[in-house]
Amino acid sequence: MKRFRARFGLMLALVAVLAIPLAVACGGDDDDDDGGDPTPTEMADGDAVTVGDLTITGGWVRTTTNDVSAAYMMVKNDGLEDTLVAAASPISPMVQLHEVITEGSSSKMQQKEGGFTVPAQGMVELKPGGYHIMLMNLTEPLEEGDEVEVTVTFEKAGEVTLTLPVQKAEGTSMDMDSGHGGMGSETPTMGGN
Amino acid sequence: MNQTRRIAALTAVVLFGALLATACGGSNDDDGNGSENGDGTAPEYLGAVIAPPPSMPEAILLDENGEEFDLQEETDGYVTLLYVGYTHCPDICPTHLHEIDVALRQLDEDVASKVKVIMATADPERDTPEQLKQYLDSFNESFVGLTGPRELMDQFQVALGLQPATRTDIGNGNYTVNHAAYVMAFTPDDRLAHLVYPSGMGMREWLNDLPLLVEKGYDPE
Ligand SMILES: [Cu+2]
Repeated sequence: MKRFRARFGLMLALVAVLAIPLAVACGGDDDDDDGGDPTPTEMADGDAVTVGDLTITGGWVRTTTNDVSAAYMMVKNDGLEDTLVAAASPISPMVQLHEVITEGSSSKMQQKEGGFTVPAQGMVELKPGGYHIMLMNLTEPLEEGDEVEVTVTFEKAGEVTLTLPVQKAEGTSMDMDSGHGGMGSETPTMGGN
Repeated sequence: MNQTRRIAALTAVVLFGALLATACGGSNDDDGNGSENGDGTAPEYLGAVIAPPPSMPEAILLDENGEEFDLQEETDGYVTLLYVGYTHCPDICPTHLHEIDVALRQLDEDVASKVKVIMATADPERDTPEQLKQYLDSFNESFVGLTGPRELMDQFQVALGLQPATRTDIGNGNYTVNHAAYVMAFTPDDRLAHLVYPSGMGMREWLNDLPLLVEKGYDPE
């Protein structure tokens, strides 16, 4: 207790000092138009987009109050195994493919080596807690109602540009899945493993 | 009682290694599906049982308005959902906060008003009170953000039985931070977190557990 209190003065000083570089770091305008590439934009909100044997649905990008965000989508594969190897967006000079790793009491996200595999005749889902496309150094915050272009590149199928809605969470542009009666008859997400 | 808690918190710091080993025994495999809830000791609750339960640390941190926040005092009488996360975390952290917010809006006011939601930062270098306020207000203006110097925040996490945050550089000045794998629910009577809610748990668990926790604390049948 005493030790916590004793350090408190130091904390106030630290916070004050830190606020300055932060303000600068977040304000930096990198040029936002990289020109973009000439890939066709084929996405109508929420609609399926196909590239080769792949069908992409349910894409969205998270709202943010700072300079990082994440993009999610579902990729269904009617052909041979493919891999999502890269992503890019005009709103972010730095995009990475991330996975979330949980060990004991701790979680972290990190780059997914080799990208996201889309199994043959299967699918991969980018969703919170699993895989995401990490958008960093954003030039401005993203608000609900905005749209973001994200180009994804697959090893075999090639690249395609999606126009994704910005949302607070999965499914929030529609009604949350609040309609369920919640009577406890369904198995909880975390079942008994 | 206060004395006991103080000792408990300090002990937790000292016994960091031991705590980690025992409190977090359940090794979560792959994604969303954690494993702490396997023993079925509390079927009425949907949260994952954690043993031994961490106790609410005695700490005075800085809140999102830049004011001193005495954790013990401010959470007295509330079910406290405490999460250690950070604002430059676009994946799990906002998912937890959003689901809690939606659940609180659906629950009866007499339950929701007894729940305090706190995110303590694992990234104090970037998370000033201002950053925390901006971020948390985008979910719910009643959510509390806590920060402090790195050393203090590290101690705080250790006291909660968590690994202290470490940075992983991912280029261009960006880094990611490891953070708590779950939200902890502290009950008002004993100030312990018997239940935790890892990624993959959300609305369903909150809607079920929060009324129980408010009404009777952690008291499995
Ligand atoms: Cu990420």
